[in-house]
Amino acid sequence: MTTVGIVANPAAGRDIRRLVAGASVSGHAEKAGMVFRVLAGLGAAGVTRALMMPAPGGLSATLHRQLRAHAAGQGHEAAPAALEELPMRLDGTAADSIRAVEAMRRAGAAAIVVLGGDGTHRVVAKACADVPVCALSTGTNNVFPEMREATVAGLATGLVATGRGGPGALRRDAALRVEVDCAEPDLALVDVAASREPFVGARALWRPGGISDLLVTFANPAAVGLSAVAGMVSPLERGGGRGLHVRLAEAPEAAAITVQVPLAPGLVVPVGVAAWRALATGEQVDLPAAGGSLALDGEREIERRPGARATVRLVAGPLTIDVDAVMRHAATKGLTRLPPRV
Amino acid sequence: MPATAPPGTGQLTREQLLEGYRVMRTIREFEERLHVEFATGEIPGFVHLYAGEEAIAAGVCAHLGADDYVASTHRGHGHAIAKGCDVKAMMAEIYGKQTGLCHGKGGSMHIADLDKGMLGANGIVGGGPPLACGVGLTARVKNTDQVAVSFTGDGGSNQGTFLESLNLASAWHLPCVFVVENNGYAESTPPAYHQSGVDVAKRADGFGFPGVVVDGFDFFAVHEAAGEAIARARAGGGPSLLECKTLRYYGHFEGDQQTYRGAGEVEEVRRTRDCLATFVQRVTNAGILDAEDLERVDQDVRGLIDEAVTEAKAGPDPTPAEVETDVYVTY
Repeated sequence: MTTVGIVANPAAGRDIRRLVAGASVSGHAEKAGMVFRVLAGLGAAGVTRALMMPAPGGLSATLHRQLRAHAAGQGHEAAPAALEELPMRLDGTAADSIRAVEAMRRAGAAAIVVLGGDGTHRVVAKACADVPVCALSTGTNNVFPEMREATVAGLATGLVATGRGGPGALRRDAALRVEVDCAEPDLALVDVAASREPFVGARALWRPGGISDLLVTFANPAAVGLSAVAGMVSPLERGGGRGLHVRLAEAPEAAAITVQVPLAPGLVVPVGVAAWRALATGEQVDLPAAGGSLALDGEREIERRPGARATVRLVAGPLTIDVDAVMRHAATKGLTRLPPRV
Repeated sequence: MPATAPPGTGQLTREQLLEGYRVMRTIREFEERLHVEFATGEIPGFVHLYAGEEAIAAGVCAHLGADDYVASTHRGHGHAIAKGCDVKAMMAEIYGKQTGLCHGKGGSMHIADLDKGMLGANGIVGGGPPLACGVGLTARVKNTDQVAVSFTGDGGSNQGTFLESLNLASAWHLPCVFVVENNGYAESTPPAYHQSGVDVAKRADGFGFPGVVVDGFDFFAVHEAAGEAIARARAGGGPSLLECKTLRYYGHFEGDQQTYRGAGEVEEVRRTRDCLATFVQRVTNAGILDAEDLERVDQDVRGLIDEAVTEAKAGPDPTPAEVETDVYVTY
């Protein structure tokens, strides 16, 4: 029996970017639909059991309705993987996802499909160790997870889980390890931003003002969010083992260049850049000790008192499933072909 | 082109922080004192306490002027204090005295001060949002930049009045902000029993305007999100919905046995998430305010509440001759 875990963050997609920008909204029905499509793909690839973090009311009810409707009208299509909800209590915080991923690992999950934004993936990455992750975005304002059809993602994850992913199936992504004073180290998958603003406020970062330093694991100029600033000045491939440290200009006069960046969907703003340099794996950066806050993957998370020591180090991150590579391999090797009719 | 932040928010000044703290501390002290005084039987009528939810009233009303409006709930003391109502007159009102904000005729559940833009606490669950639409429409017709904010609970967000108001505000593009104070219980019923889904904010999607969720214990989060929502409404951007997740520290009403709560629920939140404690910890950690600054506010507030209770108790009752005063209106 092959088991795959599913984490669908029910709370994703309600932050301040809906108010200040044009960020998209992904409702329970769409998330439930995505889980259903993942199950269909997993089932077709031979995964028999999917272990899911329990979803609250609306999402769970919609999902089970879809599964019942499917079972009633099933024809010759492959059966979806059987859905099992983890027996756990939810407290509505990120700790839910951590406990769910730990339970999935204990249950021998061969891969984990994550539906959410950068924040959800960041939380999963803290707990998943080397269990491969299929990263699916539930909105348009994410960088780490991809926007793609969940059925195909389910198929690719199923192929990886059943040992048929091929040589290029997994990519070792990078991460940024953040340490502030003696607190428990934290992790970011895309970017860390140091801001002079002392309070984290409404969490999601949507203003460049006050940001002094930006560190990224990769720099995609086609991304949306802060990492796009790095992408605009010096594009860097994902999984290439190198990051970038960008210093933003304190005042417009101090900018070496000013780039137009989509900081959130529908919000393109000018950002002044003072300097930038490459970051090697293992390299540590000491952030200015002036205090302020730190944003991890676009969420303001940590408030630093003045004088607090804060360091960021580029480290190895999670193993991510490269859906395109897996499907190409499957097609080349004939893995998706059914046996000929006799 | 300069790399600057868009208008509407930004860093809080020392003065803004002190004022936010003063408002939250005043509400807490007011409510904690009422909790004690109500038990003596001296206060007439029902009292619903706002303790625990202070960051919401303070964070939202910090962006409102005297000519902006708020429409409140049955749990309205916090909104009234944050909107600038006279604290002593409020206390006298709750004691039913002639010196009260409504000359003793409103009591806790109908406390109002139109001069301060406080349209009143409201005995009708879900009664506030239609009032906000009304004043929002006035602002639009008169072409002012006033904003109307309604407060509603998680229970109230199931009322037809709430959903009709979202529709009306959307259809007429009204300068309204619908704040939902999701305190975990519609009287005694948790949302899982009466709402499909976790976020009331999602209801805004159906009406075509933004809905956002913030931590209602976090003054900074409420302040930033409310600032954007109110600035948007003021600039002609139309309505929005702000759901603040919170927990009330006392019963639905004073005297509620609260058998529906989990063991240690309130104690745990008071210990780890209390809006005042986390505020103090964060502003002192950042080195912007120190313990003495905050202690001075605490002392002022304690003095004010003591005087308010003493004066309210000593105040005159309304006389039989006033029974019809302020009750009927001639247009």
